[in-house]
Amino acid sequence: MTDLSNRRWYSGMLTQEDWWAVWLGVGFFFLSLFNLAGIDLVGWITYPTKWVLHPPEGGKGAVSHAFYALGKKYSVTAKGFYKGLGWWSVLWTYVVFTIATCIGAAFMRWNMKRFFTGWTIIYFLTIATWFVGHHAFIAANKINMKQYGLNFALSLGGGGSFILALIVGLVIGNFFKPFANYLSEAAKPEWYIKTAIVTLGVKLGYLPIKLAGFSHKLGKEAASLTFDLFVAGAAATVVAYLVFWPGVYVISRRLFKLPRKTAAVLGSGISICGVSAAVATGGAVRAKPVVSIMVSALVVVWAVIELVILPGFFTHVWPGTNDPLVAGAAMGMSVKTDGADAAAGELMDEFMRNKIESETDGAVIWPSGIITASAVMTKVWIDMFIGIWAFVLALVWVYKFERRKGERVPVSEVWHRFPKFVIGYFFCWFFLLALYFGPGQSGAAEAMPFLKTVKAGAVPIEKGMRKLFFMLTFMSLGIITDFKKLKEAQFGKMVWVYFVALFGFIIPVAIVIAYLFHHGMQIPNIAGFVK
Amino acid sequence: MKMELVIWHDGRNWVVKNERVTLAARTLDELDLEVERFLRAHGLVREGEMTEVFMTFDNSTIPQWIRQYSQHYFNRVLEVKG
Repeated sequence: MTDLSNRRWYSGMLTQEDWWAVWLGVGFFFLSLFNLAGIDLVGWITYPTKWVLHPPEGGKGAVSHAFYALGKKYSVTAKGFYKGLGWWSVLWTYVVFTIATCIGAAFMRWNMKRFFTGWTIIYFLTIATWFVGHHAFIAANKINMKQYGLNFALSLGGGGSFILALIVGLVIGNFFKPFANYLSEAAKPEWYIKTAIVTLGVKLGYLPIKLAGFSHKLGKEAASLTFDLFVAGAAATVVAYLVFWPGVYVISRRLFKLPRKTAAVLGSGISICGVSAAVATGGAVRAKPVVSIMVSALVVVWAVIELVILPGFFTHVWPGTNDPLVAGAAMGMSVKTDGADAAAGELMDEFMRNKIESETDGAVIWPSGIITASAVMTKVWIDMFIGIWAFVLALVWVYKFERRKGERVPVSEVWHRFPKFVIGYFFCWFFLLALYFGPGQSGAAEAMPFLKTVKAGAVPIEKGMRKLFFMLTFMSLGIITDFKKLKEAQFGKMVWVYFVALFGFIIPVAIVIAYLFHHGMQIPNIAGFVK
Repeated sequence: MKMELVIWHDGRNWVVKNERVTLAARTLDELDLEVERFLRAHGLVREGEMTEVFMTFDNSTIPQWIRQYSQHYFNRVLEVKG
């Protein structure tokens, strides 16, 4: 069936995943705002907590409490109701998100039977790995392991669940290929991560509100830090564009003697933002779609390899907990798909926060999500620029290299390539900031009851929904990643161009640029305010 | 005057199509010539006027697994003078 979703500026609004990430993220965000009217419609969203089979007497970690509805802790109006849900919140979450994602899948004209069964399997596999990953041996650290009766714990925090989800997905994707193929209708890491990134906008907007609950000064610090990340991310991205693309193009042409169009598509894929850049550039230089498709297959596999290597490297080798936001920004510039980048940022967020807490014996505790935000911020800027970059490339190609009589590049190309989920991300962020600075009076004491109702709605979205969609992303990334593709002969030289360019050029340069723009930025310490 | 076409690559040729015509060629240059010939042969280009041909790429020809990463290949405009 013909798909002309980019015929008009609005024609893909109900048929593209990008837009459906906005509808899902913003839709649930609006539901959360009903809290302002005293109605809690999102407190059912499930969340795991650490557990052990035999909790010590008076300690924590009963399996019966391993999942709970977030409304139990945060709801202002329905705490009693949500307290009773417990494990049932897993089913509530399944039912509501199944309805929401199936509506999206129906509009996108996917195979509904395969999507529904695939989604159901992926959801419950995700919940199972989330549960196992929260065993206190994996998730606890040396500060809190005694509460669970343990003398040793891996200190992975929520990162253990992400790693497990990725491993389970990779096992399915590489050893049970017919099953992975069946699940592929619902294994959509980009849809899930874009939805998670929209809810990350809620996280960023909520951060000053949360810290204002600790102290007025911390709230202001958080608001100003998010603005700093916003500006530094933009600057770093522009610099990265100007250095990365020409560098990889020259490596491809001079060192590996690739044809001009292939070098351009590969240059964008490796240096800018992976598949979307490869496809955009392929279109811009009027290459046959097969070139972009081959590069895309490479990008997807290499991005997962980066996801496996970089969070541990940045946490334990360099820059470690001295410069966590340099690490985050470098991640955003190095990992070439939104899914793998945001997932790697989230994993590193867990690793770094647990490391600093353990290293300082609990004297330093960082709020979650800021390191993820630094990784996503540079990526979001990169995504936004790709439309402009592809437009410039198209102009150069159509009017200089391959000039055809009468051909014109429509300006609407910039819009068609604009990542729409970014609209949802900024909308949620700025909406909550407006509440914080407006009726929230920048966290003044008299506005705290109002901010508490905002919090009751925001937390299930920025914590429960966001983490769930991150988990779904890890699982789906694994399912659709087939490492055997790297061995396929037709890629030949391209695999090596990618390897040399990524590890010999992109990652080192990304680290330098991230250092220049993010060095010295500090994450607020909330140790004095949390239990 | 304006005309709309759907464009895709079938693995061998660039193809454009609407309810009136289907044209195919190995390269975009050849395809543009085919389109121009069709317009002139059917009197769709008037003396002294410009006919704008808007080509929308058919995204269904891009594998579905890639569409989650990028949902636009290209649209192009061809202007033919009468």
